[in-house]
Amino acid sequence: MAETTMTAAKSDVNTETPILSVKDLVVRYTTGSKSYLDAVRGVSFDLYPGQSLALVGESGCGKTTLGLGLLRLLPRLGSVPSGSMTFVGKNNKPVDVLKLGTAALRRWRWEEAAIVFQGAMNSFNPVLRIGEQMADTMKAHLIDGHKPSKDEILDKSAEMLRAVRLEPKQVLPSYPHELSGGMRQRVLIAMSLLLDPRLLILDEPTTALDILTQRAIVDVLGELRERLGFTMIFITHDLALAAELADRVATMYAGRIIETGSVRDTFQNPRHPYTAGLINAVPPVTGDLPNLASIPGSPPSLATLPKGCAFRDRCSYAEDKCAEIDPELEMIESRLAGLSHTAACINWQQVHSPREVVTADA
Amino acid sequence: MAAIEAGVRGRPATGAVPILKKVWRNYALRRFLRAIFVIWVVATAVFFLVRLLPGNPVEQYIQVQVSQYGATYADAQRSAQAYFNFDPGTPLIQQYFVYLWGLCRLDLGMSIGNRGMAVSTLIAQYLPWTLFSVGIGVGIAIIIGLILGMIMAYRRGGAIDHAVTAIGSFLHAIPNYLLAMIIVVIGGARFGLFDIATMRGTASPGVTFKAYGLAFFPDIFYHASMPILTYVLTTVGTWSLVMKSSTTQVLEEDYVTVARARGLRDLRIRTNYVGRNAILPLVSQIATTAGFVVGGAIFVEQTFKYDGIGTLLYTALQGRDYTVLEGILLIVTVTVVFANLIADLVYSLLDPRIRTTESGD
Repeated sequence: MAETTMTAAKSDVNTETPILSVKDLVVRYTTGSKSYLDAVRGVSFDLYPGQSLALVGESGCGKTTLGLGLLRLLPRLGSVPSGSMTFVGKNNKPVDVLKLGTAALRRWRWEEAAIVFQGAMNSFNPVLRIGEQMADTMKAHLIDGHKPSKDEILDKSAEMLRAVRLEPKQVLPSYPHELSGGMRQRVLIAMSLLLDPRLLILDEPTTALDILTQRAIVDVLGELRERLGFTMIFITHDLALAAELADRVATMYAGRIIETGSVRDTFQNPRHPYTAGLINAVPPVTGDLPNLASIPGSPPSLATLPKGCAFRDRCSYAEDKCAEIDPELEMIESRLAGLSHTAACINWQQVHSPREVVTADA
Repeated sequence: MAAIEAGVRGRPATGAVPILKKVWRNYALRRFLRAIFVIWVVATAVFFLVRLLPGNPVEQYIQVQVSQYGATYADAQRSAQAYFNFDPGTPLIQQYFVYLWGLCRLDLGMSIGNRGMAVSTLIAQYLPWTLFSVGIGVGIAIIIGLILGMIMAYRRGGAIDHAVTAIGSFLHAIPNYLLAMIIVVIGGARFGLFDIATMRGTASPGVTFKAYGLAFFPDIFYHASMPILTYVLTTVGTWSLVMKSSTTQVLEEDYVTVARARGLRDLRIRTNYVGRNAILPLVSQIATTAGFVVGGAIFVEQTFKYDGIGTLLYTALQGRDYTVLEGILLIVTVTVVFANLIADLVYSLLDPRIRTTESGD
């Protein structure tokens, strides 16, 4: 499947202009009057229309912060001191998201880029009915240049709910607490697509759901993407999900992207020891169960990052040089449309995945 | 709790059970029954308390009548019977039901201190003024407090936050009767900012609604202004601090971030997403405080010579007017219970989760 979507993506993707171009993005949290920490340390990537990018990594690697930063939804103490984010909207004009004013930013959100959070339980206002919350969303924006009428709102809400296989008559008058976790997650996905955004960010959309509900959500997402053709970034630590839904994978570690590539690159030929470690920590879907190996240690504290490669303390390939240089992404195989395989490791040539990893197309 | 209430509703014949079950499922009705139950418990407690008091007030009254006014014991007993609305000669249980029946007809007996006055008449004369001044005072305090609290939460660490936190905790620490005295001594006597003498009472002499029409209202507001000011100043700090912490908590909720992500307008987020959820935990607190303020009004009204229930209670205490004390105790209870009932109903209107989780079984 990964291969087919990849080739499909290649053919109908406009390789000239990325829909989202992030350059050297830094997200900073103020931790005291003069102290701060950078949760995202210079992330760059180009995302082309129709692509699906998975951001993988352990907890605390800056994935969610990056997701929030992309929509400028950082908490009070968060800020973006440097970097740029160029977004090509529905009118085909590029805008710098970081320079949008308050009013323009408000309209940009959800009309152009929407986000689905993990734990849909808390994503809804507990005192408003689902229908009211969907209407709130639509009323805050112009649809085709005019304020949506009551009927339009109702029709569109019902259409999106049916698209995620929910019964609008039952769901619209319900309060969030009256729905199950899986239903709420689907409602949230339906709501995210109300304004036909070009970009959809999903932050661990299936975490905290049981395996069958996860399956249903993944199916719905795949179906919707095929139909509506939105571009997708999804943040996950579920590698199987990444393999299934993504064309491209970017591995994050300590606030940086340390390996990028197609799904096949990442899962069959990882070149960064951290990516390889992540893959070896998960059992394959088919075949004999190999020895699972966890990565020793845990991600470093971003407040006290030492010089050099942030992963070196946990890395079996580490050598003295690693303490001195923090490697940049190095090109392994150059491709168009952001699909190049790159890794930020000076020893990438020595890294070999010790076992065959099964992707979804196997 | 359920077991106690089962006793209340379980009395009628078994054939009526389905209807009762239906009634029980109705949130508002269930709350109402619960309120009635609480009032019944308090009324019963008051009944037995008066009879168990050391130096039984009824006996004492009879003694006083006999020794001081030279009445015969039988006369004194008849007189006591009229005042206390019970016949000491009948069995206790019979007295109790006579008393309850009297309550149902709002008959609280006769005042001992004010000859010929029914307790209910006295209360009807004084209570509205207290409800008026306390109601307006608490209302203003809540509105200002909630707005200040939200501003503080949005601008945490700002100048308003620091100022209101400091002043609010200071005012919260001052008992309201002390603040009332400070207002009288400093504002009225020392600097002569206002004329305490003309502000006495609930309205200027001779001014009634009948005689003056709409001009009556400015006058009663003028007379109530000092008690109201006291109630506002002593409670507004608490409300703003409570609202601040509640709002701060709600601002951290995912649904607020999601609402921002959805591109909702700020005003909509502040009212329907933050405000409405932040007020929820405050609703029941508002009701409880209203009861406390009625209690605290005793001293405040006394200080300002405002003729509300507090002044009545004060006079009754001084004159050992047991029947009036009994009546006031009951009325204050009823006020608090009904304030709570209203809070419960408002709460269920604001929070749909209450309606479902407590829908009975």
